[in-house]
This record gives sequence, C-alpha cells and structure tokens, in this order.
Amino acid sequence: MKSEFLINWHSQLRKGLLPLFVLMVLQEKENYGYELIQNLQTRFAIDVAEGTLYPLLIRLQKEGLLTSTWVEQVSGIPRKYYVITPVGQQTLHEMRAYMDSLKSINQNEQ
Amino acid sequence: MKPLAFTNQAAQQLYNQYIDRCRKVVRLLPRAEQTECLMEVNSYIFEYVSSRSQADESASLVAILDRLGPPEVTLKEVVAAKKVDQAVRTFNPKHVALALLLNFRNGIAYVILAVLSLFLLCFPALIVLKLIYPADTGYFRSEHRNDFGFIGIRGAGQTEVLGWWFIPLMLVLGALCYGLIVLLLRLVRRK
Repeated sequence: MKSEFLINWHSQLRKGLLPLFVLMVLQEKENYGYELIQNLQTRFAIDVAEGTLYPLLIRLQKEGLLTSTWVEQVSGIPRKYYVITPVGQQTLHEMRAYMDSLKSINQNEQ
Repeated sequence: MKPLAFTNQAAQQLYNQYIDRCRKVVRLLPRAEQTECLMEVNSYIFEYVSSRSQADESASLVAILDRLGPPEVTLKEVVAAKKVDQAVRTFNPKHVALALLLNFRNGIAYVILAVLSLFLLCFPALIVLKLIYPADTGYFRSEHRNDFGFIGIRGAGQTEVLGWWFIPLMLVLGALCYGLIVLLLRLVRRK
C-alpha cells in the first residue's frame, strides 16, 4: 500500500508533467478542452479539472506553444480547438529529451 | 455568448449566478477578451453536462462548476495575464496600473514595478511644488551637501542650480520611469 508521502509525490509529479502530457496529446491531433481532459484521463490516468486545465492552456498559448480556433457546432455552443505550434513541437521534443536524460540517470543509479 | 438553457429552474439559477460571477471577474478586460473567457467557460460547462445526459442535470452542473472552481480563483490568473498583455500593447497608464495591481502578488519583479510607480507619482508632485514654492523646490548644492526635491530647511550655503529647468527635467525623468515600467512589464510577461 502506498504511503501518504508517495501518493502526494505522485500527485505533484503528475501536476508538474501536465504541460508535457498536454503537448503529447495535441501533437497527435487538435483537441477541444473537454476532449483533452478525456484523452489525458485515458492515456495518462490523470483526472485534470477544467479549472486547472483552462489557465494552463492560456499559459501555453501565451508561450506560443499552442494556437486555438473557435469552431461552430450544431448545438450553437462553439468549441475552442487547441493546436500545437512548431515552437510547441520543438519544446515537446526538448521536454522528452530531458525526461530521457532523467531516465538514464535513474537507471545508472540503480 | 449563447447562454445555456436548463430545464431545471434551480440549475438555471445556479448557472446564471456562476456566469455573473465570471462576468464580474473579467470586466477589467477589453470587451472581446471578456467574451472569449465567458465563451470558454460556457463551453466547458456545456460539454460536461451534455456528456452526462443520462445523469441528473443539476448534479452534472454542480459537478462541473466544482471542477471549474470559483471564478475569482480560476479566472484570476487568466485576467491578470491578459491585463499585462493589454498594458504592454497599449502603454495606457490605466491598464498599466491595473496590471500592476492584479499581479502585485506575482513576485519581486512586481514589487520593483510598484516602487517605480511610486517614484513616478513623485515627478508630477514635484512639478506642482516647483510652481507653488519655486524657491524651496529644485536641486540644491553646496560644497558639502546636495539635496533634491522640496526642501523646507536648506543647509548652509546651498543654492538651487536648475531654476525652471527643474520642470522639464522632471518631465523627462517621469517619461523615462514610465518607459522603464512598461519595459519591465514586457520582460516579466516573457517569463
């Protein structure tokens, strides 16, 4: 059974990795907010609240890693689709390289 | 923004109240950005409730509003960031002041910005004092002492050296200080 310390650590780690996970999902396909939450849950087993995701997407957009477009829907409520930019692709590549380097360090230490 | 319609009156009221709270939080933004924020919140609510069509409408609404969090918290960061963007885009003093106020808690950079803003207030005050008390306002020099500003009690042998050039100097320093504030806001925004 996981200790409370490990549970908290896992939670903090997943929060820290959230930008990486978001970019990984958007690299494959554009997503709207709710769809992104569903994909994060399915692929990475993390339940991100909309109140957490929305400011994060705004931050990533400000950094130039994403762009967004409103698409009209039959329901009359438009969806905002987020797309990764070339800068976002490059950043994702660098983030993955860093994660690989951490993995190497961990393997060497064991 | 197209408001959502709920069959349950209590749910409709809850939704209306939440959107009203969102409107209050984003009112400092330009109209287009206010609409953008509200549309995004509205979309999150719609998608969540629609995906749970089998569930009770009120329960779904309560759940998504809980997940979105209080607008005063969730939208605060969004509004503060967009306000900084507006301030550096427009150079408008009102937007600069609001951006500083909204971001004051965001670190030492904004503390420095706040201090610079206080300095900025001094320059027009000194211009007014120069007009009212010309003999007591300016740059005062003597062999052993230098004083700058509104000096009620001067040191021995001190004379005011700038005269009426004090006023254009205050204008230039004020403009430089203001430019520094906006540049610093841009730097902080890039971080």
